[in-house]
Amino acid sequence: MPRCHAGAMAERRGATVELREVTKRYGDTVAVDHLSLTAPAGRITVLIGPSGCGKTTSLRMVNRLIEPTSGQILIDGQNILQEDPTALRRRIGYVIQQVGLFPHRTIGQNVATVPVLLGWPDARIRARVDELLSLIGFDPARMRDRYPAQLSGGERQRVGVARAMAAEPPLMLMDEPFGAVDPIVRERLQNEFLQLQRAQGITVIFVTHDIDEAIKLGDRIAIMRTGKLVQFAPPAELLAHPADDFVARFVGSDRGLKRLALLTVGGAELDPPIDPSRLDGAPVLTPAMSLRDALAEMLASETQVGMVRDGANYLGVLTLSHIGKILRADDPK
Amino acid sequence: MTPGEPLVRWEWIGSHMDEISFRLWEHFELTTIAIVVGLVIAFALSYIALRLPRLYPPITGVTGMLYTIPSLALFAFLVPYTGFSILTAEIGLVSYTLLILIRNIVGGIRGVPAEVRDAALGMGYTPRQILWRVELPLALAVIFAGIRVATITTIGLVTVTALIGEGGLGYFILFGIQLFFSTPLLVGAVGSVLFAVVVDGALVLVQRSLTPWSRVQ
Repeated sequence: MPRCHAGAMAERRGATVELREVTKRYGDTVAVDHLSLTAPAGRITVLIGPSGCGKTTSLRMVNRLIEPTSGQILIDGQNILQEDPTALRRRIGYVIQQVGLFPHRTIGQNVATVPVLLGWPDARIRARVDELLSLIGFDPARMRDRYPAQLSGGERQRVGVARAMAAEPPLMLMDEPFGAVDPIVRERLQNEFLQLQRAQGITVIFVTHDIDEAIKLGDRIAIMRTGKLVQFAPPAELLAHPADDFVARFVGSDRGLKRLALLTVGGAELDPPIDPSRLDGAPVLTPAMSLRDALAEMLASETQVGMVRDGANYLGVLTLSHIGKILRADDPK
Repeated sequence: MTPGEPLVRWEWIGSHMDEISFRLWEHFELTTIAIVVGLVIAFALSYIALRLPRLYPPITGVTGMLYTIPSLALFAFLVPYTGFSILTAEIGLVSYTLLILIRNIVGGIRGVPAEVRDAALGMGYTPRQILWRVELPLALAVIFAGIRVATITTIGLVTVTALIGEGGLGYFILFGIQLFFSTPLLVGAVGSVLFAVVVDGALVLVQRSLTPWSRVQ
């Protein structure tokens, strides 16, 4: 699915998060080693790597659930280590894999958690809760008074996201938020979340160990290994130019295919139009189609090429060698 | 018992209703004081045990030892110091509630899922707010289970305090044994059991109304 980065971003109120030389030691073990990176405002920055690479530790230092041993963390230029941790956490959304909904509170009360802590007036809280329940596709009247035990795993995960967004935080920290649901539900939750995030312009720092999720959601991906940042780049660049063998292995031997999923037919070089009667059985491709989908259709046809059409406009012919050229052009090997 | 004597003389019960209700009230008082004082002490010790986990084994060790002392011996041992008084009775009764209550309070709070605590902390609850608004409510079902066991145990033990001049319905049991008279003995024993059943039922109702979330499926 092609990505539209700027489109839905009507208002930008996300915060910029900057980690400067952040280190966390536990005795002799270094969990995070001089990590420096900037999570841009209104974007999703994904931290990824094998278990024990320090991604979750890094995330949890941003809301001071873990205190860094050294280094600085700035949110919109403010050093958070000089702030009261409780006040800091109330303005940062926090979502974890096991959700951690309060079993003794209704869905409405769960969503209202941070607004209540912040002392919002009741009417504003009620309105915000109903607004959020609608945003995540719930009927507020039907769901508000239910308890978490009455919800499915996917529904609970949605409520977890709504609860984190309740007080309109400029920043959300998400630790494998969709890791505990089945693949079909996960895909739907990812799509819904992307829409919400784009619409609200929230900055997100997102931890996952799933490279496909990272490519799908991330505006930028930080690959970590043993506490160090190995590469920090947009998904397409990561797939095209992995910094080293570790990154190449981590993104997978099918990284070429993954990268094709991020590129569109419209961006590819084409052969001039050929008489359609000579291309019997060739699939018709549109410029908005991903190169990966185009490739799949071309391989399935007898001609191994595709006719690119934009409505009535016949733009040209896409061949396998064009796709191969795109892959080779960016690949150092 | 005397041959020819019926097991229950209903007219004796009828003519002693005032005294039965007085002793029942006494039974209720002794039980309530023991549970309330026991809860206060148990919460204090549990708080310490939760803050300093190293102290949990010695706390359960000491209260566990108290729990194993035969009640008859404990009351006999206390009389020289505190006399034939309510204080003597309550020292014993409270001692026997502590182990059960502490185990259930600590167990209930430790049983709160780690992710719920993590989410609460991550959203900006203070540790005190987590205790009062998250941990205690979620531990309530387990704590109530402890209160129920402690209460039933205490109601039974109260009858033993008849030996030191207290006893509630236990007074009738002692009286019946001394006179070889089965009617008061049965009034005391059956009354104590019925009382325990009713109180337990009441506690179940209270717990249900306090934990509405535990009834949904």
